[in-house]
Amino acid sequence: MVVDELDALLEKFEGCTALAFADLSTKMILVTDSGSNLRREALDALCAEAAVLLSADGTPVLADKPSDMASVTSPSQLRVFLRAQQEPNDVLCCICSAELDADAFVADAGACLDRISGNE
Amino acid sequence: MSEQTALAQKIAMLTAPDSIDQTGARLISVGRDPEPLTAILREVDDTVLERSLAFVCGDTTVTIVAAGRRLRGIASVTPAKDADIIGQVISRDDPDGVQAAFDLLQELCGTADRLTVRSLPPEPFGKGGERGISATGLTELWGVTMEVIPKPPMEKFLSTNATAFLSVLHIRDGKIVSTAGNFKALQTIWKSQVDTFRKAHAKMVRGEEKAQLVCFEGAFDDGSSAAMALYENEVVLVAYQAKQYGEIQSSWQRIFT
Repeated sequence: MVVDELDALLEKFEGCTALAFADLSTKMILVTDSGSNLRREALDALCAEAAVLLSADGTPVLADKPSDMASVTSPSQLRVFLRAQQEPNDVLCCICSAELDADAFVADAGACLDRISGNE
Repeated sequence: MSEQTALAQKIAMLTAPDSIDQTGARLISVGRDPEPLTAILREVDDTVLERSLAFVCGDTTVTIVAAGRRLRGIASVTPAKDADIIGQVISRDDPDGVQAAFDLLQELCGTADRLTVRSLPPEPFGKGGERGISATGLTELWGVTMEVIPKPPMEKFLSTNATAFLSVLHIRDGKIVSTAGNFKALQTIWKSQVDTFRKAHAKMVRGEEKAQLVCFEGAFDDGSSAAMALYENEVVLVAYQAKQYGEIQSSWQRIFT
């Protein structure tokens, strides 16, 4: 179950506060972690941000080509966006605290996304 | 430096959270902020009871003996170094020795990217009456200041990550203020992509935050990654290797949060 994968990732990283699995082609959030209390508008904004950062239309955002992982760090928050390796429209949107171990989180989140995307 | 300034700096230093590296040593200089010799003299100035201070930069360890806010001398260097001043108490009566101590510390630590210190029990060193030279005195003799002028956040971010960045384009108020590495690709990004991205992104997140770091992994054709750091009227574009992502993130958090 997708939600179980998301919950397991959330549980592993204390600094991770919300996870959402989305489809870039429709720009819709499909599943969130079970404890998510994000409002519809916040989820839509998160998905829209993923579409800009991971370039839903395939146009390079910064530099030469669209990325499979992008992140935005503000003083209070780290938002990470990942694209599945096999299915480019499957993306994982993550909201974390700024103190998170970003390296470790991105590695685990990528693996989590690929499991979700592969089992859809 | 006035007494008030010195007092303010001391209080700021004492109240600042210590930065401890993975070996448990205290990190006192990163990206030459402050300059390593400034950091060393500040440690000496903070040492009242006799202690050995082991400074580590890269593979080199320099152990000095300090007491009464004075540097008594350089006790040892690892890996071993052939220098007569090692093991000698420095004295104003021996200007050549004072200069030799400076030259050795400068050679070993002066350009260190990271400098840590451990305070250890004192080792037998010199004779009881040989007190060395005060840290304040050494600032004059060596021409090294103990004052730390805080760098603006973006400059601190750049100096801390100087070795992690492949290229840098630093823009303030729309004008290029510094560059590093092969920055031509970053210049193209600045001219053709930054504005469009910032407008599109700001619309999604309902306004741009005052400080922001946006990273794009593997965005360059050669596999390297791109990042844009924003702070007030400054924009920094960098290229970096993906393996540096965690380091860059944690330094940004340290500086801007």
